[in-house]
Amino acid sequence: MTLLVAPPAVRCDMRLAPLLLAFLGCADTSTGPAAVAHPPAAEVTFVPGAFGRLTTRQYRNLVEDLLGDVGEPALPADTNPYLFESIGATTEPLSESGVQLYEEHAAAVTEAVFSEPGRRRALVGCEPETVTDACALAFLQDFGRRAYRRPLTGTEEARWLSVAAASSDPWVGLRSAVSGMLQSPWVVYRTELGSPDPDRSGLHRLDDHELASRLAFVLWNRGPDDALLDAADAGRLSEPGGLEAEVDRMLADTRVRQSTEVFFEQYLDLARFDRSAPDPGTFPSWTPALKAAMRSETLLLVDELVYRKDADVRRIFSQRRAFVNDVLADHYGLDVPGASPITFVPVDLPPDAERAGVLGLGAFLVMNAHATETSPTLRGKYVVERVLCSTVPPPPGDIELDLSEETGEPQSLRERLEQHRDDPACSACHALMDPTGFLFEHFDASGAWRADDDGSPIDATGALQGQELDGAGALGDMLATHPSVGPCMTRQYYRHAHGRLDDDDLESVTLEQISGAFAAGGHRFGALQRAVVLHPSFRFVAAPAEAR
Amino acid sequence: MTRPTLSRRTFLRGAARGASVALALPTLEAMLPRTARADEGGLGPIFGVFFWANGLPWHAGHGSAQAGPPDLWTPGETGAGFTPSALQAPLAGHPFSVVTGLTPWTDIPDSPAGQGDGHMRGFMVALTSDRPRSEGFDHPTHTLTARRQTIDQVVARDARFIGDRQTRFRSLELGVSTARFHDYGHWNAISYNGPDALNPPEVDPGRLYDRLFGAPTGDAEAGRRAALLDAVVDDAASLRARLGADDKARLDAHLEHLFEVQRRLALDDIACDDPGRPSTGGDLLSQTGIMAELLATGLACNLTRAFSFMLTSPATTHAFTEVGVVTDMHTVCHAGTWEDVHAITEVQMTCFGRFLDALASRVDPLGDSLLDRALIYGTSEYGEGYKHGVSEMPVVLAGRADGRLVPGVHVRDPGGNMARAHLTILRGLGLATPSFGFSGSETTEGFDELLA
Repeated sequence: MTLLVAPPAVRCDMRLAPLLLAFLGCADTSTGPAAVAHPPAAEVTFVPGAFGRLTTRQYRNLVEDLLGDVGEPALPADTNPYLFESIGATTEPLSESGVQLYEEHAAAVTEAVFSEPGRRRALVGCEPETVTDACALAFLQDFGRRAYRRPLTGTEEARWLSVAAASSDPWVGLRSAVSGMLQSPWVVYRTELGSPDPDRSGLHRLDDHELASRLAFVLWNRGPDDALLDAADAGRLSEPGGLEAEVDRMLADTRVRQSTEVFFEQYLDLARFDRSAPDPGTFPSWTPALKAAMRSETLLLVDELVYRKDADVRRIFSQRRAFVNDVLADHYGLDVPGASPITFVPVDLPPDAERAGVLGLGAFLVMNAHATETSPTLRGKYVVERVLCSTVPPPPGDIELDLSEETGEPQSLRERLEQHRDDPACSACHALMDPTGFLFEHFDASGAWRADDDGSPIDATGALQGQELDGAGALGDMLATHPSVGPCMTRQYYRHAHGRLDDDDLESVTLEQISGAFAAGGHRFGALQRAVVLHPSFRFVAAPAEAR
Repeated sequence: MTRPTLSRRTFLRGAARGASVALALPTLEAMLPRTARADEGGLGPIFGVFFWANGLPWHAGHGSAQAGPPDLWTPGETGAGFTPSALQAPLAGHPFSVVTGLTPWTDIPDSPAGQGDGHMRGFMVALTSDRPRSEGFDHPTHTLTARRQTIDQVVARDARFIGDRQTRFRSLELGVSTARFHDYGHWNAISYNGPDALNPPEVDPGRLYDRLFGAPTGDAEAGRRAALLDAVVDDAASLRARLGADDKARLDAHLEHLFEVQRRLALDDIACDDPGRPSTGGDLLSQTGIMAELLATGLACNLTRAFSFMLTSPATTHAFTEVGVVTDMHTVCHAGTWEDVHAITEVQMTCFGRFLDALASRVDPLGDSLLDRALIYGTSEYGEGYKHGVSEMPVVLAGRADGRLVPGVHVRDPGGNMARAHLTILRGLGLATPSFGFSGSETTEGFDELLA
């Protein structure tokens, strides 16, 4: 079950493509005993690129960069199969109502800009006398380049010029052209097509503009800025060191924080938390403000670890630190001076506190509980599947699922779940989940600490993958160094960045190399991002089946 | 799997049990057969799916008195003039027939595991007469898709159904509850154009109002917007030429939708009664009323003739606090009490009744209501939520389909093929269909006793 992680420098098989060798630090064959002292590694297998719609947030960011603040007219909602909106964007076609929303969105945002003389003048940069004068043409070329994330072709330029020329009023004409470009599939989607690699048949290399777009949407969750487009225009992303220089610039830019937040929101499944609803009758202190605070504290914890501490990101499971505002402090039973409805105060918890990392926070505890009682099964399932990337097989058909059967005397939840584990049809899978979930039993379904369960003592003993533990604190400490956690986070981020499920048969070498680089970088999240985007799998794709 | 071998005829028209025939509906007139109006040059029939989540309260058996929780769904009598069961009481003021005992006949591939799960197999057969697609099926993450379009789209895209009476919207997809088991796949929508191609429902009354009654049409501004879409389509050609087959199919779906959007923008405005901007909020029943009234107003001015109405999404996590059940419905079905599931199902059936009220209340000058023109297919993802049991799928066929559908009949067909319900629907809408069903459920037999 555990993936063995080899250090990144071992795979210097000189049969590999030069760029891959460069990634692995093996480019200079004359140096380093590492280059010759280790057995050759399996070769990376490349897979076809994805063709994905920009997620709704990415599209909004792109439009904001193009037009400024235009509000948020409705757009189709993203879906998140396998946790990630980027996967929904590469698999689900837009619906008819979705396409209509893009049309209405384009009408609304162009109305907002072009109906205001000052605003449209600022956008265009000059006053067009006619729709085909130099002012209008320069604007269409520039706007097109930023919207398409590449220079327009001559045909495209002529097309939008002719759309503009259909109106006698140059402002109406330019508005039409902008509205059309914003709906163009070249803008709404992102390609990873590339062109054939002269050195290896069947392999395509993304062109510099596709690569720039891919980098920008993955690292910034928005389109490329002018500097990145300039680098692509000049071919610098194909030059030695050019890609690394851009990636390092982008990782050092504050725009990376939104994409990191987006990844953790989806990896931690906060959309499901948003839909959670503990019973206010059972938990009178449950309020929308408390729920919002739980969402915020989760992202604050991640942000601090990744950006203020630049620490081993696996500590999101172990560190005894919480960010609480006033309602959260009350809920967690903490006395925190300075906390207010809008002020989240960092609090260091005792090193042996049960409330360890994100798994000790309300979002995880609530979304994996029922309205009135905890669910060790759901909590365990989340840890096993999300954090360790183990799969739990489906339940058998036609099983007795009623755990509340009257048996004469009241049973604890643990006793009821024991029935699962006594029944051979259920035990194999529940044994993977429930013992881990029991470790959280000191936290009720609202995420609050409880010393006992309605007078009955709490038993928070359990296990992770057969290793017995007592309490959530011990679990958090174990996860922070567990050999599966780094490779699993690698897999999740790789799925997020590539917008599709990885194929174990084809991509295990790629994933091992990336998680090796992640480990070598001290498991800092930036090291994972860097390893994913600099890996050859980010810029080389297999040719589409028909084109091979 | 083994196929049930019982003859359906055994169970028809109450013959098996010699059940007494009683007219229990309040208006005698409602039960009388009507002359088919389909060929009178009217607006054409309306087809709609009404979907509710998590089936029916569990019980030990169907159709007969039994120990344990009672069967409050299956009517005690079969044939014409049956007395609606307790759970069907909210529908009883309206013309409807019911078929009980149906089940998926679709095969269950061994791999990947879990394709027999009721939420998945039952849903797919209820909406497509097929099984889930095996490719990409993943039970642990509940990821799956349909193999083909759902019955609402089969009808909406049938050239014979459209005829020369093309409406502003080929179909509409509406929903009420926003509770979701997941944010992807059929857990948040019940209408498919094909694999992965979901038609997500509009659940916001204000946005539905804008879409139906507020969109610009027919004027110069709409003309400008429509015209520039030609350039958008042209612009896609250079992209399309470079895509692989699957990606090209997704882009083509986008472009096809773009043509529809363009067509709508260019249409002349239609005179509709403005129902006024709707209120929002309230419990599930009042929200159902708001969405159903908007839909009915749109149907009355012929904005569409095909729709789906998702009261609650499959495996819904909706909490029916209005009847004191604070735990989400999916959990209640698994680990709650029969009484709670019963109370929840009563609410959902009351909503179904409220929905039918809206269609029945719109009467044209000839005295025919929208419900007289409509065939409404009411169904859920399985029979019983307790075990995800699919042995007794709920099937309600409400309305008169312009006189082609016979209301007031209970057909009981234990172990019968669910695809027969779909075949009956297609024929009831006047769409001659020799056979229907897929992956083992192929059939040439509809329920003739439901067709005039």
